[in-house]
Amino acid sequence: MLIPDTLQGALMLSLIDFFLSFVVIAAIGLVLAAFPWLNRIAKPRVKDPIQE
Amino acid sequence: MHDQFILFLGALLKQTGLQELWWGNLVMIAVGCAMIYLAIAKHFEPYLLIGIGFACIVANVPGSDLIRQGGLFHYAYQGVNLLILPPLIFLGVGAMTDFGPMIANPRLVILGAGAHLGIFVALVGAKLWGFSIQESGAIGIIGGADGPMAIFVTVTLAPHLLPQISVAAYSYMALMPLIQPPVMRLLTTKQERLIRMEQPRQVGKLEKVAFPIVMAVIVNLFLPPVAPLITMLALGNLLKEVGVVERLSKTAANGVMNVVTIVLTVAIGSTMSADTFLTVSTLQIVFLGLVAFVVGTASGVLTAKIMNIFLTKKINPLIGSAGIASVPIAARVSAVVAQQEDKRNYLIYQAMGPNLAGVFGTAISGGIMLALLRAG
Repeated sequence: MLIPDTLQGALMLSLIDFFLSFVVIAAIGLVLAAFPWLNRIAKPRVKDPIQE
Repeated sequence: MHDQFILFLGALLKQTGLQELWWGNLVMIAVGCAMIYLAIAKHFEPYLLIGIGFACIVANVPGSDLIRQGGLFHYAYQGVNLLILPPLIFLGVGAMTDFGPMIANPRLVILGAGAHLGIFVALVGAKLWGFSIQESGAIGIIGGADGPMAIFVTVTLAPHLLPQISVAAYSYMALMPLIQPPVMRLLTTKQERLIRMEQPRQVGKLEKVAFPIVMAVIVNLFLPPVAPLITMLALGNLLKEVGVVERLSKTAANGVMNVVTIVLTVAIGSTMSADTFLTVSTLQIVFLGLVAFVVGTASGVLTAKIMNIFLTKKINPLIGSAGIASVPIAARVSAVVAQQEDKRNYLIYQAMGPNLAGVFGTAISGGIMLALLRAG
């Protein structure tokens, strides 16, 4: 076990966990912010009738 | 003849559980009956409390073979003990959930972490009360307001506390409409509660299909300890969003979910025997669970208020408390409190974003905790 079974260990675990939770969820938020780009791929490519 | 009759009767009596019956059993049978009453009369989590309450009653009838090794309830508990049932619950949850509100407003996912301060306050509180660090971690996760995640973490870190922690977690989730509003009102001004938020954008189908795949990859890569839960959540959601396996999606959301709920509730209830449940530590866990829910609600609202300092388009801080998880109860509470101030303020869709992010917030906290506290 990496964290000691003491009050200090509990405080350390809480700090690390709370901080990392923000980091990971912010990273997920960043990934989600890029999601609208997917809609460009998904858009059906309609051929330009004038060029045809 | 008379003596033999008495002798046989005595031998029969010995085979019954009557001789092992003590007042603790009667108290727990009353607790089981109270759960069933609350489920029927007050509609408090009936899908959970009926099974838990019934199994609790049976587990406290001395002589019942159901909870002993080889008994049916014992095998139901193995589904929990071997961590099979919580991921299957998540499969069903994934098949029922539309993650559109979370994808549509990525800024709000941060509230899914902000509303989890309660986990750590309860963790430190439990340590101060003399629990081991593993037990404290399991108690803290009650504040994640996510039943399967609480069971998953508890079975891994402190399996002997499973009945207390699961009952506390599910009870407080059912009581959220009573616990959260006073805290939310206390920490917000009327002006803030009146803030209207614009409707989020429409989320495309490809985004919804990509979401579970991306989440499964992220969680398996960075949070392997909780990967079984989130992976199954992602699979259930993928079945729903692809739109070509409706039969499987409906089975996961209905058939599988219902069967697993029955087995899971029976498994939890069967662990509530008087000799393990009627202890001082149960009262401590119940108190710490309440602290975790109150602090989590408060920290979610405060995180939203801090975000408002930096945002040009202000968010209603009431949606912050939805980040605690407990889908969709917490989002509904946010919407109801907002509507009590302004009947035309519909916040449910906006509150669902942080609410769904809260599931991932709990998973992240649980995953880090498991990575750091698991023995070996």
